[in-house]
Amino acid sequence: MEEVKYKAQIWATFEDVRRLSFEEKKESVYSQAKVDAFLDKILEFKKTFAEKTLKITVLIENIEKITWFNDVDNEALMSINDLISSIRDLQSTLIRQYVSLNFIRNKGIAKDEIKEFKAAIDDLKDVAADLESRYFFLPRMVDFQDVTKELSLF
Amino acid sequence: MEIFCIEEFKVQFEKLKKNRSYSTIEKDIISYFFDTNIIALTSGTRLNNSDETPYIKKRLGGSGGYRLYFLLVIKNSNVYLMFLHPKTGSLGYDNITDESKAMLYKKVLASIKLNDLYKLVVENKTLTFNRP
Repeated sequence: MEEVKYKAQIWATFEDVRRLSFEEKKESVYSQAKVDAFLDKILEFKKTFAEKTLKITVLIENIEKITWFNDVDNEALMSINDLISSIRDLQSTLIRQYVSLNFIRNKGIAKDEIKEFKAAIDDLKDVAADLESRYFFLPRMVDFQDVTKELSLF
Repeated sequence: MEIFCIEEFKVQFEKLKKNRSYSTIEKDIISYFFDTNIIALTSGTRLNNSDETPYIKKRLGGSGGYRLYFLLVIKNSNVYLMFLHPKTGSLGYDNITDESKAMLYKKVLASIKLNDLYKLVVENKTLTFNRP
């Protein structure tokens, strides 16, 4: 009778091990799928920010080209003034986005992409200031204008 | 095309070159200014109202790289490097003031008139500053 009892216990334990082994194997495959999906999301996130940075960079280059215009009239100056306000508005929207990424950044996710994104936002701020200097502040400085006049005689 | 610089540029360049964080600075300047023509340098932000003698602020090394201020005298094919600063790192900052931009502009004109300049030459991939 004892032998029968042992066999049943061994069989039951064998069943437990077999079931758990199967479930763990299944779970392991399932987790890999979850990890893959997570990594895909990170790649997508990185791509989104790389694209945003590229858009900002192209925009900065186009803004820089505006500084090469000569003798702009009042109407054009007014448009440039509006442009400067729009750039600053965009910059403040983007900086809010950057701040909202703090949690992700602290986890070390997409670190380089977020760093590049921030540098591009800073450049956007600078190019607005430079555009303002070029058309509104430096032309008002008499010394500055005198140097331009003197250089034109070279 | 000949490339010159004023004292402010030389001092700042030598300070940055010593700092490991800015190890690419010499290579970046050589690759941008040497073996090119003056018209290829007419990009970036122009700070004055002159096509013939543009005063330019240029982003070098992309976002977070350096900001370089220089003057071109197109007719003579001369470049005058005035100042540079990094955007990041211990010696980095965002921008210089309008007063500083104007001061550098006045300084470069005075230096050209007095011939108080350094001529930049590349020797063994290194920038050297010679008195003309």
